[in-house]
Amino acid sequence: MSGALQSAGYLARRAAQKERVRILYRRALKDTLNWAVHRHLFYKDADDLRQRFEANKHVEDLDRIDRMIDEAEAAYNKWRHPDPYIVPWAPGGSKFCRNPTPPPGIEIVYNFGREENE
Amino acid sequence: MALRTAVLRHIRVPAQTLTLTGSKQQQWSLSGSFRFMSSHDDHLTREDVIERVLSVVKSFPKVDPAQVTPEVHFQKDLGLDSLDNVEIVMALEEEFKLEIPDKEADKIDTCNLAIEYIYNHPMAS
Repeated sequence: MSGALQSAGYLARRAAQKERVRILYRRALKDTLNWAVHRHLFYKDADDLRQRFEANKHVEDLDRIDRMIDEAEAAYNKWRHPDPYIVPWAPGGSKFCRNPTPPPGIEIVYNFGREENE
Repeated sequence: MALRTAVLRHIRVPAQTLTLTGSKQQQWSLSGSFRFMSSHDDHLTREDVIERVLSVVKSFPKVDPAQVTPEVHFQKDLGLDSLDNVEIVMALEEEFKLEIPDKEADKIDTCNLAIEYIYNHPMAS
């Protein structure tokens, strides 16, 4: 029973670590594109980033993995781009909250001010 | 307190406002269904989404294009790993000019899920 519990705990911890790594890789990859700007620069940087992740692919020790993820997240936070690209409609983007749909029931009066003439 | 919870458990408020605003919105969109110079109304058709998602997945360097179908699972069927999955989702984001939150992007692991998500996203273009 305790063995099953232990392995369940192990699997849960592994799953949490895998998720952290995936999200860290996603953020780091986006940030690489922010720093590189041009595609031909980005491809090389992205390859380098991937290699840094692949280098520690086979680490098994859970505490060591946790420590490495912590370090990597700290490094990511340190080198985060100050002005990242944000899709225009997303929060923080240049089109965010601009030109919103009018509330229901609002309509345009086309002959406004000239109602008597017609 | 117990009485309050008992009452709250049995009380039902008919959700009329939702349907009301829904029908009003419908009227509004009928009266002015085309918003001139607006980029919000170029909805993608489902076939369009499927075709573009498949073309993105096929052009991923580690994927054999012949194996790609709309039902394919990135890691189980195409032999990719989780980091490749992240790269594919990012490529899809760029293709459709989307910004998918990290937690949701993390859950997209099949072509079908990607197609569903993008087709139902109001800002996909």
